[in-house]
Amino acid sequence: MLSKSKLAMVLFIVSEANFFALLLMAYAYYHALDPGGANGAGALDVVTTGLYSVCLFSSSATLWAADRRLRRQEYRGGIRWLLATIALGAIFLYGQGREYARLLRSGVTVSRNLFGTTFFTLTGFHGLHVFLGLCALATLAGLALRSGIRERQTQAVEAVGLYWHFVDAVWVVIFGVVYLGSVL
Amino acid sequence: MTALDTLNPMSPLAAAIAKLFAAVLVILGLIFALVAVLVVFAIVRYRERPGAQLPRQILGSDRLEIVWTAIPILLLAVIFVFTVKVMHAASPSAASRSPDLLVVGHQWWWEVNYLKSGVVTANELHLPIGQRVLIRLESADVIHDFWVPRLGRKLDAIPGHPGYLWLEADAPGVYLGACAEFCGAEHAWMRFEVVAQPPAQFAAWEQAQLAVPPVPRPAPALAGRKLFVARTCVNCHRFAGTSADRHVGPDLTHLADRRMLAGGAVANTPSTLAQWLKDPNSIKPDSHMPNFQLSDAEVAELAAYLESTK
Amino acid sequence: MKGYELGETAVGAAVGGERAVWAPHESLLGWVASVDHKQIGIMYMVAAFAFFGLGGIEALLLRIQLAVPHNNFLSPETFNELFTMHGTTMIFLVAMPLLTGFTVYLVPLMIGARDMAFPRLNAMSFWLQVFGGVMLYFSFFARGAPNAGWFSYAPLSESAYSFGSGQDYWILSLLVMGIGTVAGAINVIATVATLRVRAMTMRRLPLFVWMTFVNSFLMLMALPILNAALVMLLIDRQLHAHFFTPASGGSAILWQHYFWGFGHPEVYIVILPAFGMISEIIPVFARKPIFGYEFVAASTVAIAFLSFAVWAHHMFAVGLSDVFNLFFAVASMSIAVPTGVKVFNWTATLYGGRLRFTTAMMFALAFLVMFTIGGLSGVSFAVVPIDWQLTDTYYLVAHLHYVFFGGTVLASFAGIYYWFPKLTGRMLSESLGKWHFWLSFIGLNLTFFVQHVLGMMGMPRRVFTYPDLPYWGALNMLSTVGAFVLLAAVVVFAWNLGVSLKHGEEAGDNPWDAWTLEWATSSPPPVDNFTRVPPVRGRRPLWDLAHPELADELQGRAA
Repeated sequence: MLSKSKLAMVLFIVSEANFFALLLMAYAYYHALDPGGANGAGALDVVTTGLYSVCLFSSSATLWAADRRLRRQEYRGGIRWLLATIALGAIFLYGQGREYARLLRSGVTVSRNLFGTTFFTLTGFHGLHVFLGLCALATLAGLALRSGIRERQTQAVEAVGLYWHFVDAVWVVIFGVVYLGSVL
Repeated sequence: MTALDTLNPMSPLAAAIAKLFAAVLVILGLIFALVAVLVVFAIVRYRERPGAQLPRQILGSDRLEIVWTAIPILLLAVIFVFTVKVMHAASPSAASRSPDLLVVGHQWWWEVNYLKSGVVTANELHLPIGQRVLIRLESADVIHDFWVPRLGRKLDAIPGHPGYLWLEADAPGVYLGACAEFCGAEHAWMRFEVVAQPPAQFAAWEQAQLAVPPVPRPAPALAGRKLFVARTCVNCHRFAGTSADRHVGPDLTHLADRRMLAGGAVANTPSTLAQWLKDPNSIKPDSHMPNFQLSDAEVAELAAYLESTK
Repeated sequence: MKGYELGETAVGAAVGGERAVWAPHESLLGWVASVDHKQIGIMYMVAAFAFFGLGGIEALLLRIQLAVPHNNFLSPETFNELFTMHGTTMIFLVAMPLLTGFTVYLVPLMIGARDMAFPRLNAMSFWLQVFGGVMLYFSFFARGAPNAGWFSYAPLSESAYSFGSGQDYWILSLLVMGIGTVAGAINVIATVATLRVRAMTMRRLPLFVWMTFVNSFLMLMALPILNAALVMLLIDRQLHAHFFTPASGGSAILWQHYFWGFGHPEVYIVILPAFGMISEIIPVFARKPIFGYEFVAASTVAIAFLSFAVWAHHMFAVGLSDVFNLFFAVASMSIAVPTGVKVFNWTATLYGGRLRFTTAMMFALAFLVMFTIGGLSGVSFAVVPIDWQLTDTYYLVAHLHYVFFGGTVLASFAGIYYWFPKLTGRMLSESLGKWHFWLSFIGLNLTFFVQHVLGMMGMPRRVFTYPDLPYWGALNMLSTVGAFVLLAAVVVFAWNLGVSLKHGEEAGDNPWDAWTLEWATSSPPPVDNFTRVPPVRGRRPLWDLAHPELADELQGRAA
């Protein structure tokens, strides 16, 4: 039987998945209508974003490692992996920031065309979720540093872990549809 | 009954729907009567009486569940068959036929273009009886909906998404239409009329609409014409034979022939026309027709000009 | 607590949330700071009732404007603001919080739990709801309320046509409440899934809990659709994006797909808990178990699934392809079948019973008949050609009010008369209740039945006035008179609430001889809900205790 906090997180993820599915549908629908050419998905730098994406993807692995150690009450190792996760997530966000700055400088904005509208909405909401995930991870790290993780908090670690893997999975889909879709 | 427009059709398109609607209403009415009678019967028969025993604790009956699942399914299946049939009768596919009319919804009036003859009118659509015309429906701003209950289905006029709609009338008459999709402040006064005429009369009307009115002789009308061109009227309206050729507002060339003003808010008479020019908001608040602060004399001259084409 | 003879071995301990660390206070701060599901439930209901007053006043103003043709009691702008606010208020600030109030109050009690799974989250959901409601009404003071209708069709709701900030308040308010609603749904599911008292299997769950449980899944899936659409509209309006602006390539139709993708499940979100209340109340006053428990529960699941496949019946007038329309016609007709199953099971429950006509039962029976009208007129919108004639007319207005007023509101009145003793320890006056009932019943039919006829005559909805066509004025006047009869009904009801709260007859634990667990504790229940939870051996634990010889488990079918 799922613990109530894990169950609640699964349910929350279901509702979030639904939310992202709709943003993604809007992107796909308008992309099919009007790919936007050089001011559309063509303006994306797939390789650079791909490298930053690897950071996000590998943060799932580091979080898994952190989770295992915290469960075995190896706090030092757990916290180290937790901090690594936070660092990787932050690098991803930095990459997204650089990407936005480059696109905005070249005139691809929310109001420029339908690509801008849908691209910034979709990736922006994902970035926001990464940011919130980082806040949650930082809270956990703070708790762990201060007093170690107690039994009740292992549930929180599991729940935040589920959330982080979900945010990661959403990026797999977005990267596939938006970035790889633009070069295929 | 005659006031029930949706059940009082005046075209084969609307008649198909009306027949189905009447039949469905009867079926729904019977089901309602059944439920109501069952409930009322239970209320009378099973009311608590003093000293009554505890009732038998019945938990259900699979047989009854099957009955009241299956019977509605069968009924709905029958209704569905007729739904498909009537859909094709009431709204046949336009295939690749080119439209006869282009109707454009504006906030808050209807622009009607006769694509073959070039006639342009507003809020009043003339139709030869017994002929089925195909309308291409567009919108210039928000979503509107073109609906003449006695002549058939309604259809949304959606910006960026043209629709096609058949219109036909069996007998001469004036059939009321309205915008049926909420479209902003003056949605209520986005009404229109379909005037169905025998073909000969319709042809005569079309000819008259095409006529370019001569420069009027009487002094007030002539002054009105000068005002019309000098003032900003020409920025929004069209008037054949002048420099006014915009379609932001209704075509005013044959305004005097129209039955209603301001999307059906008032009958078109010289006095309502004058009131409209003087203060549009007094007739149709929030309409996009501005108040030009015209003097009474200017109003009279403009009205005389607009009436001069009659 | 009435002394049930309980063997110590048969007693279950209430399971539950986090134990309340402070006893709830009756002080204002005690309420505001409360995380107790009972206080939060009551606050939901009080907030809903306050907004019901506002939404009702809006409705009366609309009806006064429409009483006679060519009226200019209200300006068109004001009229449009009022009907937008009326619809938004009644759906989002009345129906949803009222039913949520019943849900968070009753679900833990009915399953023998001490509180919700996440009491603090519960409080957060409630305060988000209040904040959203206040924000929506604040728009009146900030350059005008929203005026694009409760479904805010684009591009009318875009900044080019709705340039006031009312539309932005509308979006933000719905977003805030939508987040609260998703959190609430998660909470209810977690509560029902993890906090049921021992032996309370899913097959023994009270039907109200079943329906709110299923309903929470509906909310969980439907609200994110609305939230996605809302943020897109907000980004359009604030950042000049192009999601729903046809002039720059966006699609007006996409908004409709998204909105109704949420909007139709939403219709069931505000009716399923009402179904649940009816499924509790009718059996108790018929002194019989619900007829066909499994079918009533299973039909709810069927409705929940189907409700996600019917949205485009709101869009038949858009002119999409025949195949597309027919798919949604089939799905929409199908949803009538499980709904019919419920109506027939409720009716069958009456047969062979011993009916007690309390006010609660009268409202429940009126619900049965009135909701049937709303359900049946709904079938006409599944028949595509009839929809082409009647959608966006007063026939539709009549239909939706028979569903919401004849359905949700009548069921809620029944629920309030039924559970008020549990909530407060006092009975509502039955004599005032009868007045309230008859005024509501007459007012409802007077106001809304004639609107079917107006729709059939061709009167479009959402018009601030209308031409003086034959019978239009007379029928509209009748409808307006009916609205004032409803006002009288609500005044009597409010009076009844006020008087009974102070001077009502003492209720005792179980005034109706009801059988679900909430009646096994004192009225109002203590902070921890139960000192002892009676044993659960069937669907009607208290009935089984009182009538061991007629216990459900001896009847062969139950549990």
